[in-house]
Amino acid sequence: MSDVHERLRRLLLVVPYVSRHPGIGVDALARALGLSREELLRDLDLLTLVGRPPFQPDDFIDLHVENDKVTVELDQRFTKPPRLTPAEAAALAAAGELLRPAAGGALATALAKLEKVLPATARLRYHALERTVDMRTTGSADLGEIARAIAERSELTFDYAGKVRDAVEARRVEPLELFSHRGQWYLSAWDAVRTDQRLFRIDRMAHLVVTGRKFPPRVAAPSHVPDPAERGEVRVRFSAVAAPYLRERFGSEVRELADGGVEVRVAGDAERWLTQWVLSFGGEAEVVEPAWARAAVARAAEQALAE
Amino acid sequence: MDRTERLLDLVALLLDAQEPVSWAELKEAFPEDYGAGTDEATERKFERDKAELLELGIPLTYVQGDEDRKDGYLLDRDAYYLPDVGFTPEEMAVLYAAGSAALASGAFPGRQDLQHALRKIAFFADPDLPAPRVRMELGAVREARHVPQHLESLWTAASTRKSVTLVYASPRSPRPTQRTVDPYGLALRRGIWSLVGFCHERQALRTFHVHRIRDLKMNTSKPRTADFQVPADFRLDDHVPHAPWQFRIERPTEVTLRLSGGLADRAEAHFPEARVTREGGRTTATLTVTNLDPLLRHLLALSPDVRVLGPEAAVARIREMAQAVRARHKGAA
Repeated sequence: MSDVHERLRRLLLVVPYVSRHPGIGVDALARALGLSREELLRDLDLLTLVGRPPFQPDDFIDLHVENDKVTVELDQRFTKPPRLTPAEAAALAAAGELLRPAAGGALATALAKLEKVLPATARLRYHALERTVDMRTTGSADLGEIARAIAERSELTFDYAGKVRDAVEARRVEPLELFSHRGQWYLSAWDAVRTDQRLFRIDRMAHLVVTGRKFPPRVAAPSHVPDPAERGEVRVRFSAVAAPYLRERFGSEVRELADGGVEVRVAGDAERWLTQWVLSFGGEAEVVEPAWARAAVARAAEQALAE
Repeated sequence: MDRTERLLDLVALLLDAQEPVSWAELKEAFPEDYGAGTDEATERKFERDKAELLELGIPLTYVQGDEDRKDGYLLDRDAYYLPDVGFTPEEMAVLYAAGSAALASGAFPGRQDLQHALRKIAFFADPDLPAPRVRMELGAVREARHVPQHLESLWTAASTRKSVTLVYASPRSPRPTQRTVDPYGLALRRGIWSLVGFCHERQALRTFHVHRIRDLKMNTSKPRTADFQVPADFRLDDHVPHAPWQFRIERPTEVTLRLSGGLADRAEAHFPEARVTREGGRTTATLTVTNLDPLLRHLLALSPDVRVLGPEAAVARIREMAQAVRARHKGAA
């Protein structure tokens, strides 16, 4: 879209926004509109030139910045923002799909309300556009329960298949944040028993219970899913068949081998992840070292073959 | 006069007008812009401005006059102003959380549209919205810096129905190929954005991973005329499966699994598309599969919590894979 188009859309929102929040600070307004301070000040400058013909003094938008606060004296009927365009509504609806498994009924009712405020002529286009982006995530019904527990600050218990193979542990946690990483849902939570913030994969949880026991607000430390492409001690080799996918995922971190295959180094702190990852290449991957990792994969292959 | 400024002045004039504003009055109101030059040139200029305003959703119409009213342009104020949508705090929180998560992920088609939508719905909301407790992370590939920009272009192309020309690098072909595609839609699966569209070279629907697009150009001729129509029965979901074993490569086969250990409890979460039965302590799941090998590799990773019961070909193939893994790690256990 052109710059004029983008700027216009933004400017049509500024005056109504300031009218609604008189005396709003420049930085707060910039944040609300997602602009840098400089961009906002440039926009405000332009707005003072806007008015309606014949451009008598009272025909201009009267807006000023004083002591870093913004006020509007004359809004020239820019009292509310324009309605959502079909593309804006469709983008919002598409993003909403991301949370469908966690949203309960609120998403459906929100989207119904959103559609109602579209001009009648825009609805057809909205429906066509809405079909253009699909961010649906699959996820267990537990996501909704977990989202509710986060909002209500209510403790959760569940059985968890953790890092070590074949082990399931009972967990009691204070849920803090849900996030989707490469389409996989995770919960970041405070584990009261281990007095540490931990990350849990939703699809490894079973027998989830919202206990109803409340916990005090807690600031969640940023958590991230370990990236297997982070260099580590485990050397894994791949055949030429699998190599293109590894090059795509690891970029320049791959080491090219003479037979057309590649080698990468990955972290070895999670045995379950490592063995599953190597097995998921169905014989096209081989752990070179260390010995414990080779042994873990060999054991897993034996188990798969045992009757 | 700066075009942005002129367009805003025009909206201000029309928002305030009590009756239709005629072309003659517009020329008089904007003498430098619509008053000077040939009739043809100034009319073209106004038509372009009008199209821009219509694209912004500004309800501008031309009314034919009658005895009581003159001809001219009218802005329907009721249709212009955003009414209070009346979202409950919970609804607002869901939209806000999803929108913020999509924006924060760094790659979302229609990023600018989404940003504007969020600002507009926030207009009536409590300014102290709770911080979203949801995040989304993509990043399944290293070289993904062009993805946000390509998604934005593809969204524009798909929403205005313009064809695109792309240079595509598939890991399966030795050299990038150039394709002309009618972009029907974009889907996100497992952190990867896919484009589904009609490929002119192959004369068929094709799916492309957006991160494998090296270069992208939208057809810029006749920007307001659609290059194609999307068939009414087209559904993105039919072409972008949630799991790799749903890619339509082979004829459908039914694969039956026995699940044990922790996986038995999580059967539905793990295989949302499967039919799960539990009988006398045995949990079985049946899946319809059109791309067998990726499923078997996935199952191998989950062993020994999962066994393939049938068909025989699948049982043999997964054994073959396990033997290959064992052979490569000989002497280690």
